[in-house]
Amino acid sequence: MKKAVPAVSGILVGFLAATVFFADFTTQGTSTSATPTGEKSTAEKVYIPFGQQDEYYMFASGGHSGQLFVYGVPSMRRIRTVPVFSPDSATGYGFDKETKEMLGGFRWGDFHHPAFSEKNGEYDGKYMFATDVANNRVAVMDLSTFVVKDILKVPNTVGPHCAAFVTQNSEYLFLPTRFSAPIGQQYASLDDYKTKYNGFMSAVKMNEKTKKLEVAWQVKLPPWSYDLSDAGKKVSGDWAVVTTYNTEEATTNMEINASQKDRDYILLFNWRELEKMVREGKADTINGVKIIDPLKVKSGLYLVPVAKSPHGVDVTPDGKRFIASGKLAPAMTVFSFEKAFEAIKNNKITEQVKGIPVLDYASVMEREVNPENALGPLHTQFDDKGMAYTTMFISSEIVKWDPNTGKTLDRVPVQYSPGHSVSAEGDSVSPDGRYIVALNKLAKDTYLSVGPSHPESMQLIDLASDKMRVIQSAPVDPEPHYAQMIKADKIKTIEVYPKDETNPNAVYQQKNARIERKGNEVHVYGLAMRSKFIFDDKAKRKDTIEVKEGDKVVIHLTNVDFDEDITHGFGINGYDQDIEVQPGETKTLEFVANKAGTFPLYCTNFCSALHQEMNGYLLVQPK
Amino acid sequence: MSKGLSTVSGICLAVAAVLQGISILLPWWGMKFIAPQYPEGLDIVVYPYKLEGRIDIINGLNHYIGMKEFSAATFHELDYLPYVIGAMAILTLIAAIVRKKGILYVLIGLFVIGGTLGIYDMLHWLRSFGTELDPHAPIKISPFIPPIIGENRIANFITYSYFSYGSFLIGAAFLLVLLSLWKERKL
Repeated sequence: MKKAVPAVSGILVGFLAATVFFADFTTQGTSTSATPTGEKSTAEKVYIPFGQQDEYYMFASGGHSGQLFVYGVPSMRRIRTVPVFSPDSATGYGFDKETKEMLGGFRWGDFHHPAFSEKNGEYDGKYMFATDVANNRVAVMDLSTFVVKDILKVPNTVGPHCAAFVTQNSEYLFLPTRFSAPIGQQYASLDDYKTKYNGFMSAVKMNEKTKKLEVAWQVKLPPWSYDLSDAGKKVSGDWAVVTTYNTEEATTNMEINASQKDRDYILLFNWRELEKMVREGKADTINGVKIIDPLKVKSGLYLVPVAKSPHGVDVTPDGKRFIASGKLAPAMTVFSFEKAFEAIKNNKITEQVKGIPVLDYASVMEREVNPENALGPLHTQFDDKGMAYTTMFISSEIVKWDPNTGKTLDRVPVQYSPGHSVSAEGDSVSPDGRYIVALNKLAKDTYLSVGPSHPESMQLIDLASDKMRVIQSAPVDPEPHYAQMIKADKIKTIEVYPKDETNPNAVYQQKNARIERKGNEVHVYGLAMRSKFIFDDKAKRKDTIEVKEGDKVVIHLTNVDFDEDITHGFGINGYDQDIEVQPGETKTLEFVANKAGTFPLYCTNFCSALHQEMNGYLLVQPK
Repeated sequence: MSKGLSTVSGICLAVAAVLQGISILLPWWGMKFIAPQYPEGLDIVVYPYKLEGRIDIINGLNHYIGMKEFSAATFHELDYLPYVIGAMAILTLIAAIVRKKGILYVLIGLFVIGGTLGIYDMLHWLRSFGTELDPHAPIKISPFIPPIIGENRIANFITYSYFSYGSFLIGAAFLLVLLSLWKERKL
């Protein structure tokens, strides 16, 4: 017995010692696969194996769908559709109180140009701005949630096609007019076009605290069409450029009548100076908006003649040049900011047009670039070496050329008719030079047929070697007008909405779920969790809402599943109501129960094995 | 130093006291839940004074099989465990200062009793959670008792239970106490 004690204790000590000293402290490791060496095939360049993710996000405007399409590059997989200017039943956007008010009753929008917020001319990955040509709106989307936070209806600027462009520290977002109209879009005969119609450029600011947009000031412009634009960078950081067409001031059959003059203009302006003028009280206040009128004050605006009806105007990454694309003239024109500043200093003004000085073309222009047989230049992007890539709509290709010499370096056919293109961080001060995507207007025979109307197409072009090569092609819904491509690690999303104990509408605990009646209003403070709704914790049937015909029903719903990707939907059968609550989120749905009856309500977004059981009833007692 | 413990033993005991003190701040035991939908795993981590991990999500999922909810309020042990461990650390420190062999036996005895009670307590809770399932739960499964250490499978989850740093430090402290006793053996 005496010997057994040390023996047993010895064994125990041994086990204990082994546990203490040899225990596996490492968590379950992830194995890293070896990177294949040597040249990759085209398929390998775009293949992203399960478990790995794309190198870039691409945000493509969805044109008249009013939506934003988010793609991964280089796989060209569509990751998400984000509704911006139009309602969307997949996400309940435009149905809940907040987004319904934000959409302002419009059922569609025409999302043209997306633009990232910037810091020192680099994308900072915080916000995306979007503009609506159809209903003169501007939106801001928070990139931590990919949800639109605010939409502002901008007065006077009618059809902000020429937007959005953001200054290098996101001081302003500019929206110039595509369509000229009388101020406030009041009625005026087209016979009075020259005197009563105007273009307007709006400077919009975002309050980062409230995430709300506001019109800071506007500039009254001649009644022309303003097409595309870009903000300056570095040396030209206080400046911006805008292309114009219809300086003919035609009022009908624009195709012919707005294409008569050999030259239109680039509007060059110093926004710091305009800002200062507004501060000094030199702007008129019309309908609550501060408006600078160049006919009344010397305004920091200049016109630079350019080959007729230009489309894009793009500032080089170093901020020293701006390049206009001819559209109707088969050439790109390279202008120098430095020469322009010099011309302004030396008063090289040839004439005044509508109160705006016109700079001498030869004093500002550096060179005209005309690649052989390249037709319909529309828009230019850049790579890490400052080389330019211009889309050719008519000759259906992308041409790579050197802005320093005008020499054509390479060209690649795309299928078919590219409008814009987007290169990796291609309009920042430091493009990555990795990829460029042609945003083609026509797909024709590219994909399986879906009838007479075909999808648009986006083609990924590898810029890693000297010779451009198309390595992937992806269909896309109508219609990317422009896109932005950002390094994936710049975007920091949240997984769940944080609890907000200050939100009076949020209910995080089941025992607080309740239904309160105030006169003919019924306020529901409910929650959604896997796999049930709790609207009233004290009720016999916790997942039933019973109201009287004619009651105003306000349903606040919180998703208390603070778990990645566990989104609940809330749809009411036969009542045209549909919202979504993301993990941790609280939303409010408001409607009048204007028809009596029995209406099942249910979770629309598949959440769990018992999702099918996640339902209850809205009972509306007849009057 | 007749009758008393050697300096080496004294140091061993002092170190053992410090390790016990530190262990109060560290996790002692944990369970990781891995499912196809949760490849990253959901954790419950038990400290002497708190529960950590994604308890809300685990509770949310456990309601499908009718398991009771975990919460720090359920486990009253967490209210006094830090003091028990602290007292043990102080006692070990006293042993290091007094250096009496007799106190070593008391210490070892307390370690053994405390350890046994601790394991029994854990078994009790694991049995209680795994077997007292709500009969009205949507998913009916046979009662089960997850092991204190090792792998178990419940529905789509594989659970891994494991001791953690705090327990290891206690183990090391116990070894040091045994070591000091072994140093003083009569040759």
